[in-house]
Amino acid sequence: MWQYIDGELDLASTGALKQHLEQCRECFTEAELERRLKEMMRRACGCEQAPARLRERLTKILSMF
Amino acid sequence: MTGGRDAYEHLISAHLDGLYSTARRLTRHAASAEDLVQETMLKAWRSFHTFQLGTNARAWLYRILMNTYFDAQRKRAREPEVVPADDVGDLYLYSRVRDEAALHESTNPEHEVLDHILDAEVRDSLEALPSPFLAAVLLVDVDGFAYREAADVLGIPVGTIMSRLHRGRHALRRRLVEYARRRRLVRRSGP
Repeated sequence: MWQYIDGELDLASTGALKQHLEQCRECFTEAELERRLKEMMRRACGCEQAPARLRERLTKILSMF
Repeated sequence: MTGGRDAYEHLISAHLDGLYSTARRLTRHAASAEDLVQETMLKAWRSFHTFQLGTNARAWLYRILMNTYFDAQRKRAREPEVVPADDVGDLYLYSRVRDEAALHESTNPEHEVLDHILDAEVRDSLEALPSPFLAAVLLVDVDGFAYREAADVLGIPVGTIMSRLHRGRHALRRRLVEYARRRRLVRRSGP
């Protein structure tokens, strides 16, 4: 299931699993849940902006190269 | 060397926020994250001349970041923290985050429960994972790397990435369910 959510399954297995998800409520719910958890992680942790202080520090270091 | 420096500056500025976010979770501290990113940038600059344009620059930078972090962690620990490449070691690490009592309980949060989980709780739950699991989850779930790329970044087999992801996500889920349960208890005991 995780491989499916992560887009790591080959075409044939993806097709088979998709078909199964259309018929099995339990697996469908599970898949939706996994997808939401993944989304929550991305939302909570994704692209935090690097502090301006760090950017300045790096620019200063780069200018010395 | 100015041309090289411009190209490098461009590369860094494109990936700085992403690298910082990952470093922030991995080190669990803002100041350490800044130091880690700075060290990564210095190391990357030193080998930038060997870097072939067209190869996966992002994965290359993340690889340097992860190596720098785990090297420092190993050096810091008196007994070197086990960052095992095999499954037995992973099992050992996983058992450290596993709440034995919760093993047989449902770890399946209902959808509506997820609505009440705060971003800060997600971050805390992630940061509670042992670093090797955290790294795998961050690379795949947050940074969006494919299993193969994440495996290359960490220098471990794809199978190990998959088992670390699997266990890391399980532990994370358990912790989120725990947060939700506690919250409901608090609500029940209220006025």
